[in-house]
Amino acid sequence: MDIGKIDQIIDKHDGEASSLIQILLDIQSENHWLPKEALTRVGEKLEVPMSRIQHITTFYKHFSLSPKGKHEVHVCVGTACHVRGAERILDTVQEVTGVGAGETDPDLNFSVETVSCLGCCALGPVIVVDGEIHGNVEQAETAAVLTELKQAETDEVMQQCACE
Amino acid sequence: MVNLTIDGKEVKVGKTATIYEAAKEAGVHIPVLCYAKKLLPYGACRICLVEVEQMKGRLIPSCTTPATEGMVVTTMSDEIRKVRKTVLEFLLVNHVIECPVCDKGGECDLQDLTYEYEVISNRFEGEKFDLPKDEINPLIERNMNRCVLCGKCARVCDEVVGYGSYSFINRGFETKIATAFDRGLNCEFCGQCVSMCPVGAILPRPFKFKARPWQLKEVNSVCGYCGNGCTVTLGTKDNEVQTIRFNDKTGVNDGNLCIRGRFGASYVNSDKRLTSPLIRKNGELVEASWEEALETVATGLRDAGSSTGILSGARLTNEELFLVKGLAKAVGTGNLDHSGGECYKGVTQGLQETLGLQASTATFPQVENAKAILAIRTDFYETHPVFGMVVNQAVKRNDAQLTVIGDKQGKLTRMPHARTLQHKPGLEVNILNAMCRFLLDEGLAKIDGLQGVEELKVALADYSVDAVAAAAGVDAAAIKQTARELATVENAAILLAYGLPYTANSRELGLAAANLSLLTGIAGRAGSGLYLCGEKSNSQGAIDLQILPAAGALGASGMLKAASEGKLKALYVAAEDMLVSYPDKSLVEKALEKTSFVVVQDIFLSETARKADVVLPAASFAEKSGTVTNAERRIQRLNPGIKSPGQAKSDFAIFQALLSALGATAPADEAAAFAELSAATSGYEMVSLDMVGDQGYVWGSDNLAPEMRNLVAVAGGKAIEAKYQLVVGSSLYHSGTTSLHAKGPMAVVAEPYIEFGREDAAELKVVDGDLVKIKAAGGVISAKAKVDRRLPKGVLFAPYHFGALDLNRIYHGQAAIAVEVSK
Ligand code: SF4
Ligand code: SF4
Ligand code: SF4
Ligand code: FES
Ligand code: FES
Repeated sequence: MDIGKIDQIIDKHDGEASSLIQILLDIQSENHWLPKEALTRVGEKLEVPMSRIQHITTFYKHFSLSPKGKHEVHVCVGTACHVRGAERILDTVQEVTGVGAGETDPDLNFSVETVSCLGCCALGPVIVVDGEIHGNVEQAETAAVLTELKQAETDEVMQQCACE
Repeated sequence: MVNLTIDGKEVKVGKTATIYEAAKEAGVHIPVLCYAKKLLPYGACRICLVEVEQMKGRLIPSCTTPATEGMVVTTMSDEIRKVRKTVLEFLLVNHVIECPVCDKGGECDLQDLTYEYEVISNRFEGEKFDLPKDEINPLIERNMNRCVLCGKCARVCDEVVGYGSYSFINRGFETKIATAFDRGLNCEFCGQCVSMCPVGAILPRPFKFKARPWQLKEVNSVCGYCGNGCTVTLGTKDNEVQTIRFNDKTGVNDGNLCIRGRFGASYVNSDKRLTSPLIRKNGELVEASWEEALETVATGLRDAGSSTGILSGARLTNEELFLVKGLAKAVGTGNLDHSGGECYKGVTQGLQETLGLQASTATFPQVENAKAILAIRTDFYETHPVFGMVVNQAVKRNDAQLTVIGDKQGKLTRMPHARTLQHKPGLEVNILNAMCRFLLDEGLAKIDGLQGVEELKVALADYSVDAVAAAAGVDAAAIKQTARELATVENAAILLAYGLPYTANSRELGLAAANLSLLTGIAGRAGSGLYLCGEKSNSQGAIDLQILPAAGALGASGMLKAASEGKLKALYVAAEDMLVSYPDKSLVEKALEKTSFVVVQDIFLSETARKADVVLPAASFAEKSGTVTNAERRIQRLNPGIKSPGQAKSDFAIFQALLSALGATAPADEAAAFAELSAATSGYEMVSLDMVGDQGYVWGSDNLAPEMRNLVAVAGGKAIEAKYQLVVGSSLYHSGTTSLHAKGPMAVVAEPYIEFGREDAAELKVVDGDLVKIKAAGGVISAKAKVDRRLPKGVLFAPYHFGALDLNRIYHGQAAIAVEVSK
């Protein structure tokens, strides 16, 4: 991640150590994950010890310390969703994206995570794709949503190749 | 006050006390693991649960629950016993039981509690921790398989030390204490975490497998390094100091130490210690008897008489310094001085001319309640680390506003909300002057009862905030804001450390700081203070006892100059390695060369001692009795823990013998010497040895009232024009030259270095470890480069402790040295 961008985010929060979590959230949403260089920069600019940053980033599941795909897929495996077939949905996700729970593909296109209850059990099974909730999903619908995203990624790659 | 009942006992405690503290007060024991007196309440371990009648239905953690009026507390019942036992069972699920080989055995809280609660079996089962050990550094070993997750290490490192090495990472079962990115520990190595850990998870490595705690004899003494005067409890066995034990009951330091105090005492056991007197015969130093050595010295000094120069270190005890004065008298010379002779002038002249004092006006603990703190030089943390920790606590716990006037960044400038007035080297006085001027202009100055107000106003004509800000490269608003705070908050403190590498403008800095302390009302006000802190363990004592040139006689630099011109017949150097630590090595060399009779009294064959005609082997702090006076005027006692090696004698015994060889009388022992010196020393008149208890005795009381309030105009410095400027100073891990013989400090910083800021390093293409050459008037020095983020562009830094660097070839006491850099 570009150092300038990180500095911008830090400046947006006036370089206040008390805004540490907010700054980390902004970097996470901008970059999808928190590279070591970014954390070091934040630590130095805010004058907070790196161990505290580590404490926060390992405590909250929202933060990722390893690269994340462009598209984030969260599959709820909470009790309600589980009863309504979350496992099958998870299988479908893996089939389409090739990515298992807790993993990211080498091209950094997809990251898949399981979550335990999103608080909308009536909609179960639930998946969240790039922040958008899809409720009452069937396997087919799940496949459709993800295939579309995958196709877009492939097209982009093809285009880049064509230019060269 | 709050009244409550604990186990049927009526207890009366302060409003802020917790149940645990109340119980302690009442002599009722409640077990704790995560509680520590000096840390904020945390409540992590739940071993301290008690019953409170008013809070029936659940057990209450006594360490976090405030005691309230009328509470009825029960600290032991079947229920409590059962729950505590369960807590222990849980802790023992993953904990590896290694007591037979764990150095904590015998003083491990977990071991003791397991025994007390008879946890012989465990109803729970789980995997034992299997985390890798951190054994990368030679001082602190971390074995997280023994950790009980009390968080004390992380808390002390953050709350007290202000470093922040550790924190909890992960959550749930995976929670552990770790450093950033799980790297090996690389920190200040103060060992506060070692002393806080209730189990064997963090241990001092040098002590590994040396002794069981009950085999150690404990002796309370005072750290021999800096003017902080921390209590060190020597753990001795086999006539060796094996380790330094945790002790938060004695002295001023609350059990806190820095790396030098905790890991730096090992020099006393060094096999390089001098064990016999040496006399130069046919050009060689050879072993000799004490009789012969003393006779030679007495004859030499008698011959030289008033043409003798005596230079003393500031680590001798008050009693020894008193005999040094006696020696000068017996020899008939007024040429007497200590510690290089320039650096302390802020106290002896600066404070003297303004306040009529020669000491700090207040005590260290008062700084904890200060609302505004001004540190002149960021190196204050390096020279006096444990006082630095007090500053950290003031900032963190009490929201003190810290301002640092410094030519570089450092630990202090990184404290929360610290304001840094980062200036071009050598302009500290200018900034202080600007603050004074601002207070006068704005009518914020407390001028009632001050002398010299009008004169000062006139003299400060050139020091408007804007002019100084522009010249020094500092933000004008920040100067104003700092001055305003210092003048308006209830409690404020001004800190300035002095020592051999800070010779430049010492008198001026003392004057300017004192002026500011007068205009802000800080000087003499209870709760506020002006602190001028000496580098060595008895710097203040040396000033109190006036180890200073007599009227008309020569001081250190005068003696060295005269000696270099062959005008002195004898030099007597006690506990100083002048060739390494004094400014201007060439001058010292010439002085030693041209003086026909040189005596050096030391514990090592120092560079200076190698040039002597007679070398007298002395004793270390761990082998002595006597008193030293720290930088807040606290007189504290040294107690011997071990015997001196070979024929080495305490400096006291050496001076005694010498005085009698010279036909003069000397006090019979240290106690008699104290009685004599207290009668003769201003401020000590009312002090007797039995007043010097566990907390020492602060002469002149906690707040020393100025004898006068006299503003003295002082001219500022001028920045030098040079692309690269070298500033010299102290490194955190070392103190003077003695620590170079100590394993702990040497394990962390073994070699001299030249420090570069990142910008300069990038421009010069210098990386860590590159050999660099520094050229300046006086010579060329070279050392490995260290790249850090403390220094602004164009400024380099070098620590002064290392003889190998030859820094004093180019350092002659300047504020900054113009240098050229090459690879
Ligand atoms: S040694 Fe001191 S600085 Fe290092 S981790 Fe322990 S407490 Fe922190
Ligand atoms: S290492 Fe020691 S002090 Fe730190 S959390 Fe574990 S048991 Fe507590
Ligand atoms: S060197 Fe100074 S700060 Fe460190 S332990 Fe000794 S007296 Fe305390
Ligand atoms: S279990 Fe899936 S949303 Fe509640
Ligand atoms: S000592 Fe009270 S909770 Fe740990």
